[in-house]
Amino acid sequence: MASRIVTFDLGGREVEVMVRPMTTLQSVLRNQLGFTATKDGCRQGGCGSCTVLVNGQPMLSCLLPVEDVAGQRVTTLESITPAEGLHPIQQAFLDAHASQCGYCTPGMVMVSKALLDHDPAPTDDAIRHALTGNICRCTGYRPIVTAVHSAAEAVHDAADAMRGSAGERAR
Amino acid sequence: MTVRTYLLPRSRPEALGLLDEHGPELLVMAGGTVAMPLINEGISLPEAVMGLRLAGLGGLERAGDELRIGATATLTQLLDQDAVPMLREAARNTASWSIRNMGTVGGNLFTPPPGGDVAVALLALDARVTLASTRGERVLPLADFLTGFMSTELAADELLVEISVPIPGEPTAYLKLGRKHASTPSVVTVAARLEWRGGRVTDARIALGAVGPHPIRAREAEQLLVGTRLDADAIAAAAVAAAQGCEPFTDGIATDWYRRRMAGLFVGRALEQLTPGAAGEGR
Repeated sequence: MASRIVTFDLGGREVEVMVRPMTTLQSVLRNQLGFTATKDGCRQGGCGSCTVLVNGQPMLSCLLPVEDVAGQRVTTLESITPAEGLHPIQQAFLDAHASQCGYCTPGMVMVSKALLDHDPAPTDDAIRHALTGNICRCTGYRPIVTAVHSAAEAVHDAADAMRGSAGERAR
Repeated sequence: MTVRTYLLPRSRPEALGLLDEHGPELLVMAGGTVAMPLINEGISLPEAVMGLRLAGLGGLERAGDELRIGATATLTQLLDQDAVPMLREAARNTASWSIRNMGTVGGNLFTPPPGGDVAVALLALDARVTLASTRGERVLPLADFLTGFMSTELAADELLVEISVPIPGEPTAYLKLGRKHASTPSVVTVAARLEWRGGRVTDARIALGAVGPHPIRAREAEQLLVGTRLDADAIAAAAVAAAQGCEPFTDGIATDWYRRRMAGLFVGRALEQLTPGAAGEGR
């Protein structure tokens, strides 16, 4: 069957791709758009390294035909990385040595982003429950949980600082 | 990738029409968490696939004394409802956040063991399934819908469109044993529900997962409980019957021997939770 044109929102920018039937979002991101932060681990939905956010919810891009997300909002690691420096979650992963080989890190960061968006101060249990689908074979997970806690604090402090400076401007 | 045609119907009538038109060769996919791995790996080589994500079958609502679950309602939707606590518990113990955002309640009924944990809870809750085709609709008890390993009562031109669950007033118990705490295939899953009158059990439902070709009822164990006060002897007898009556298998998760042992143990534990006076449950 003929290829189709699919458009979707990728990190605030509309992208248009031509795909064969049932091409996965993972393949489109990596092979057509060059967005290689989304990793290609197991293609079985088992490792979590290809996790992206669709309308803010974590999903596995290896199991998702790109036609299913036509017109929807896709967020990858590239979307949240600032032009200079790092996102607070990325910085927290760096500071806590939560990344060794790094292959799982983009998926871990995306799930952590979704978690902190839902729950700004998650407990240890909530972090572990959120990350159960993301496998890391290096760290033993403890530094990752630590990183998510410190990212939560950093995001909280940044929000406080924003409120503080807004208050000063108001004065 | 061999798929030549990927159909994405935008409504139930459109989906039923496409199913009728394309016949049994059409692979129907909902969340993709079971079908996509097989397609990615080249184990399944369908030429035509129909995806249901946009077909408008994802509602979930309480209607009177039942919960009506659209076939493509996600496991996350099941986790977010509070009408049937056992279904929350089943969803919470199934897979991971991302998979729950994709996997559907209807799809779970077609997931081969040791998957299909939500179906175990639905079986204990006396869920009914609605099957639709261009010819019309029929409603079946879930217990009659599941017929064998990866086989169901579904006809080639039929689509599972809804699952309805009576909202139970009586206490329920749901236990899953895996090799990890979360995101794990089941060694055994037990869902139990009892009805009582005058301190005696009048009706019992015990459903088991991962110890048969599909989620099964432990009917002999259920019968042994009726008329008892759910004392230690009754629980022990039911646990033995459930272990003897199941058909466990060996895979990378557990041996058949271990699954049978754990089936008995976990049926016992589930029933203990339902004992009158047990913390938070019973009467």
